[in-house]
Amino acid sequence: MAEKIIKVKNLKKEFGKNKVIKGIDFELREGERVVILGPSGSGKSTFLRCINRMEEPSSGEVYFNDILITDKNIQKMRQDIGMVFQHFNLISNLTVMENLTLAPVILKLMSEEAAEKKARGLLRHIDLLNKASAYPASLSGGQKQRIAIIRAMMMNPKVLLFDEPTSALDPESIGDVLSLIHEVANLGMTIMIVTHEINFAKEIASRVVFVDEGRIIEEGRPAEFFAHPKTPRVREFLEKVL
Amino acid sequence: MGEFFDKLVELFTTPEYIDSLLHGFLLTMQISFFAIIIGLVLGTIIALIDTAKPSGWMVVPKFITRVYTTIIRGTPMALQLFIMFFVIFAIRGFPQIIIAILAFGFNSAAYTAEVIRSGIQSVDRGQTEAGMALGLSNFTIFRRIVAPQAIKNIIPALGNEIITVIKETAIVSMVGMYDLNMAAKDIGSGQNMASYIVPMFTAALFYLAVVYLITFAIKRIEKRLRKSDLRA
Repeated sequence: MAEKIIKVKNLKKEFGKNKVIKGIDFELREGERVVILGPSGSGKSTFLRCINRMEEPSSGEVYFNDILITDKNIQKMRQDIGMVFQHFNLISNLTVMENLTLAPVILKLMSEEAAEKKARGLLRHIDLLNKASAYPASLSGGQKQRIAIIRAMMMNPKVLLFDEPTSALDPESIGDVLSLIHEVANLGMTIMIVTHEINFAKEIASRVVFVDEGRIIEEGRPAEFFAHPKTPRVREFLEKVL
Repeated sequence: MGEFFDKLVELFTTPEYIDSLLHGFLLTMQISFFAIIIGLVLGTIIALIDTAKPSGWMVVPKFITRVYTTIIRGTPMALQLFIMFFVIFAIRGFPQIIIAILAFGFNSAAYTAEVIRSGIQSVDRGQTEAGMALGLSNFTIFRRIVAPQAIKNIIPALGNEIITVIKETAIVSMVGMYDLNMAAKDIGSGQNMASYIVPMFTAALFYLAVVYLITFAIKRIEKRLRKSDLRA
């Protein structure tokens, strides 16, 4: 049995009176590729964002490598928990190269030369080396998101969280981003991804988790999940989207 | 028109008048300069308090700064100047220029704080999240990501505030200080030129020249800061 890299216990999140996550228990093992599906407003993004505390959980516990994540240690934990956002969030006052090297250099994970060398290698790999000194404003959405993915990879994370990585993209660049995520997955990266791309989910997932109204209501291997959904809610959802 | 020209010649050929104008101008610039510095420093501190996370003990300074900006922005500058002169610093022999600098500095701080606060808050939340997700400290996120982007939003409004302070210092003539505005009035009065038009237009040109220079400088800075916004 592979190591449990993330454990979530009875996670709850409220925004004022609005209960978004109503108690989620979840485990992520090393090498897993978990796709989180669910209708919009189901709390799937919030669930993902509670793992690295982009949102502060209202109650419950999140463990990373068996260590409870707290306000004190979260900064250190985030170095190992990469995240890719729906809106890319490239840092707009920094060039592409600076976006890639800022964190590893400041956090002393790499020397500046080593970071730049690695960044150039990754940029070359995604065919964007010519954009190294460009600012994000001059890039297309697809280019930004691919750079955001390699920015997360610069940190050598143990797990990578994707929060609807293609939802803000035009159809043409979705393919580029998805194939880069595929590549990352093929490197053996542990992945959690919230997405609406059902076909992509089928291809990449080792496990599918379905979230509705702040709870996990069904999960399973993609073959079973898509072919024989157990709950009526998932059947209904799949009928609509497939 | 002939008389206007004569007065113009008179103003610029009488060393006493030129002296008065330059003295007034110097005082206006001194008060403005130091008031703007105080406004920037104090305003930045207030803005940082206002934008800090509202945790535990921070509620106290947050409350104080809110009361402060409310009072300063809710009362006339001229009244604040009077209170500084005749209530708080009603001390014989205390240098008037310092009272004036403090009055305008404290006033400007409230407005500068608002400019800086809204500049910081207008930086997209996603920029902060990007830094958080990479494991950067709050301080690093502020210094490398939020502050540089906020400055771009802040500079134009800050330019306006600087210009406002310079022009507003003209009310120190109300407490008898000899600034540029007062100099114009003095030179034009009965015992001097007995005509206000030329000295007052001249004073106006002095103000205009300074404001124009500052506007020009701000535009240059803005342009330089905007290089990361260019889509080229």
